[in-house]
Amino acid sequence: MNINRLIALSRSVKYGEILTSNARHAAKEVTLPHRTIRTHARDLAYAKDLFLGKVNKAECFPYPEIRNEELEEINSFVAPVEKFFTEEVDSKRIDHEAKIPPETLNGLKELGLFGIQVPEEYGGLGLSNTMYARLGEIISLDGSIAVTLAAHQAIGLKGILIAGSEEQKAKYLPKLASGEHVAAFCLTEPGSGSDAASIQTKATLSEDRKTYLLNGSKIWISNGGFADLMTVFARTEVVGEDGVKKDKITAFIVERAFGGIISGKPEDKLGIRGSNTCEVSFDNCPVPVENVIGEVGGGFKVAMNILNSGRFSMGSAGSGMIKKLIEMTAEYAGSRKQFGKNLSEFGMIQEKFAVMAQNAFVMESMAYLTAGMMDRPGVPDCSLEAAMVKVFSSEGGWICVSEALQVLGGLGYTKNYPYERYLRDCRILLIFEGTNEILRMYIALTGMQYAGKILTGKIKEMKKGNVGVALEMLGRKLGDALGRKVDLGLTGMDGVVHPSLADSAKKLEQNVAHFGSTVENLLYRYGKTIVEEQLILKRVADVLINLYAMTAVLSRSSRSISIGLRNHDHEVLLANTFCTDAFFKNNYWITQLQKNSPENQDENIKKIAREVLEKRAYVCSHPLDRTF
Amino acid sequence: MNGARCLLRLQSVGFLAPSVRAAVQHAALLQPATALSQITVRNTCGQALRRFHGSPGCYKSQPVPTDPGEEHEDRVKKDKSLITHDDLFERVAREAKTKATFNRVVDVFSKRDIRRRGHVEFIYAALKKMPEFGVERDLTVYNKLLDVFPKEVFVPRNFIQRMFNHYPRQQECGVHLLEQMENYGIMPNVDSKVLIVQIFGDKSHPMRKYQRIMYWFPKFKHANPFPVPVQLPEDPVDLARLSLNRIANDLDAKVTVYQMPCTDISESGEITFPHVVGIQSPDQMELLAKHNPNRPVFVEGPFPLWLRKICVYYYILRADPLPPEEKVEEPYDPERCFDFPLQLDLDLDRDMGDDDSFDVEDVDEGPVFAMCMTSQGDQATLNQWISGLQETNPILGRVPTLFRLEAGPRELQGVADPGPGYREEGEEEVETDIVVEEEHQRSQGVKQ
Repeated sequence: MNINRLIALSRSVKYGEILTSNARHAAKEVTLPHRTIRTHARDLAYAKDLFLGKVNKAECFPYPEIRNEELEEINSFVAPVEKFFTEEVDSKRIDHEAKIPPETLNGLKELGLFGIQVPEEYGGLGLSNTMYARLGEIISLDGSIAVTLAAHQAIGLKGILIAGSEEQKAKYLPKLASGEHVAAFCLTEPGSGSDAASIQTKATLSEDRKTYLLNGSKIWISNGGFADLMTVFARTEVVGEDGVKKDKITAFIVERAFGGIISGKPEDKLGIRGSNTCEVSFDNCPVPVENVIGEVGGGFKVAMNILNSGRFSMGSAGSGMIKKLIEMTAEYAGSRKQFGKNLSEFGMIQEKFAVMAQNAFVMESMAYLTAGMMDRPGVPDCSLEAAMVKVFSSEGGWICVSEALQVLGGLGYTKNYPYERYLRDCRILLIFEGTNEILRMYIALTGMQYAGKILTGKIKEMKKGNVGVALEMLGRKLGDALGRKVDLGLTGMDGVVHPSLADSAKKLEQNVAHFGSTVENLLYRYGKTIVEEQLILKRVADVLINLYAMTAVLSRSSRSISIGLRNHDHEVLLANTFCTDAFFKNNYWITQLQKNSPENQDENIKKIAREVLEKRAYVCSHPLDRTF
Repeated sequence: MNGARCLLRLQSVGFLAPSVRAAVQHAALLQPATALSQITVRNTCGQALRRFHGSPGCYKSQPVPTDPGEEHEDRVKKDKSLITHDDLFERVAREAKTKATFNRVVDVFSKRDIRRRGHVEFIYAALKKMPEFGVERDLTVYNKLLDVFPKEVFVPRNFIQRMFNHYPRQQECGVHLLEQMENYGIMPNVDSKVLIVQIFGDKSHPMRKYQRIMYWFPKFKHANPFPVPVQLPEDPVDLARLSLNRIANDLDAKVTVYQMPCTDISESGEITFPHVVGIQSPDQMELLAKHNPNRPVFVEGPFPLWLRKICVYYYILRADPLPPEEKVEEPYDPERCFDFPLQLDLDLDRDMGDDDSFDVEDVDEGPVFAMCMTSQGDQATLNQWISGLQETNPILGRVPTLFRLEAGPRELQGVADPGPGYREEGEEEVETDIVVEEEHQRSQGVKQ
């Protein structure tokens, strides 16, 4: 493992040297401590290899650790933050008044929570992704605060952090890190969610070529009502290489002080009511040319990098929330009596706690595995993993909160308890930072693209009728059918998984091998038109998420047993339960992906939807209707 | 035994059919004597039959006239009724042909004679007259006609009767009545069923017919996915709205009334403005906005649209299909979507085994940008439509608009009342048509 890291490090150093010639900060980045955020992609990645039916165990095993000093450091941060959140933050009031009181905001600023990932030289805490995730666990106890902070630093100032020039960083980061200035991220427009082509906000260069004039409006801007600094994306005219003028997206740092910025009325939302979300319009807002982030016309990459890097923390946030909910509901279930028995003695209630514990465990494992991968030296591209963490934890969080509320029954439905607020707050997780549907597309298509590049030659040979390739394929299928054991090296001699998890590891291996051949099959069948097959892509993404989750829990609990962490047997139990569960789900989904599978109802699903959407209404007659 | 009965029955049926037809058709012409003799034949025959396999109960319910005097009276009545079946309706029709008068005739017949002599003939005559009185789609009237049949008389009472065609003429008449209902799409109700059971019994031919109707009608009731309302709106604007929505079949399409029908009385005389109602969907607006302004758009029409018994005409605004050299495919922009790749950069196509698309030969027809309806399809009126469209589609100001109108089928239109200026306009149109065609060719020539 150590050797592996060394190799990765040396590789990245070389990479950095190459980059110095054309990128301004690459060299600096490499020499910086490993906590900075990097933008360039490293080739090797775990999730992509799963598409080829490979387990790249060097990436995920052993489970990433932090040094003792770092642990102490993070614990020293965690304690006061936890104290602050339990004692000073009145979530009920924030929710009710739809406003975070200034004293709370000041407290957050004093704790340095506005600049968690801003390097220390700019006055931030300079924490790594792992540490950021750890703090996220606590911050998530109040949805409104979590979203306000995330909008500020996970996306709002991230543009400056990852693509800003030295001058921009020096000018803006200190004030942002201290919380004196709050940042916002302005991308979404009334006619544009993920579609860059429908961005209407325009930035036109003035006569003297010194300022851009921004015109247009952005919607659903978190912190939009009071942010002093915004990362705004707008169209600019760029002369392309071929001399043709083209509209391209450019990112700008816009200060409210520039003038011409109008914030609309805050939106009245279902949850995260304390966070400020509103429309922001720009009316001839002058932005100096030096406030362009990155290059003119390079805004698309900036936006993508910001969006991709901000997602991983949702896993730890979700698990933090569920851990808190487990404590609260367990107390109720242990004390409430029905028929002379405690609620905790009823099987159906017990199941809910098992679900919550398992979800929290998996989310946590995925989140810290991903954060650890991102913190590795080199320039890892973990956007796929981060997207998976986001999808899994947002959906798991929603289920768990709902189950927790269910334990309390009617009480949970009232405003006397915080469950309804948690339920409302956590609904946003499935929507923002890329809806889960869009992220599934991203997950599946990125992997398909990667696998397709590698497999194209082979598939073409096969289509041409190359007997050798076809026979190899047939042999493998036959082997699968005869129940040949798959061995990808997770267990056994060079195994990385603890023997008590060997069964689960075998299940993972079997799933991965099966998944790999399914992907090949899908590429054979659909080629590049797979983009149109959203229902197939959804299943591919779901399988992949489960595979990654299985890897994360196996890796984590193997480490726990090996170093003898407290209650590691519980972890093993959770890991084995989850892996078995996921194994059967995966099998089902993979079966659905086979050609002519009777389990696959896609055609019917599409037809139902088509008929409903044609009428734009529920189609059936009322059951009480008569014809005579 | 069986054979003999059959024979008798056949005989009687064969005997009856021509005589009845003759009676119905020529009743008015025939002299009372001949009619009388025929009826007697029929009567005796029927009675013979009745006696042959009638049950004692039958005598109770329909006593056979024994007294010669009574019989005579009966004959006279019969005689009268026979003549008046058609006549009754004819006479009433002179006043007014309405449901009320029709019902009155039926009532008169029913009350005239407790035995309802000649009811079969009466029902046949009534069925024939129904469309004249405009009651051919009225279920209550059909039920009333069914009610004319005497009850319980024709219900078979034993298995032998049930086995053979019991009272075939009456049953046939009942089936005919139901058939007419079927042809007009009228579904019988529970009242009809009760009547049929009372009249013919529950396993009779009319009952079977009823059951078949009740099996199929509900199944077919909603077979049309695009039902036309039974009551079409009277107002031409509402009618145009309905028809345009029907053709457009786009839930986003918006109907605009460019002009309400009105009459303006000024010094120069009375000027009638026709209604102009148009429809356009956002997709069509988008298409039109992308239209190359150098290519003309055409106003074409009128095209017929049938709504039940009404034919309306509509006009379309369309363009020629894009020539292949002008078709530009939007190049794939990899920086289009922030979140996921919209296209994969792969050199693999869909496998043939998974290509479920049909090989359809697409005939490029060119886009239709809007549709309209007006009662007066001359160029001036349609121009009004185009200028109204121009408010929402500014591009129309720059595109040459050509009118290719046909004068043809408007005469068929029942709704429009051709005024005195009608012909002239038509001629004018033909002229413009030619001019327009020339212009069109010219523009084509320039293009080529």
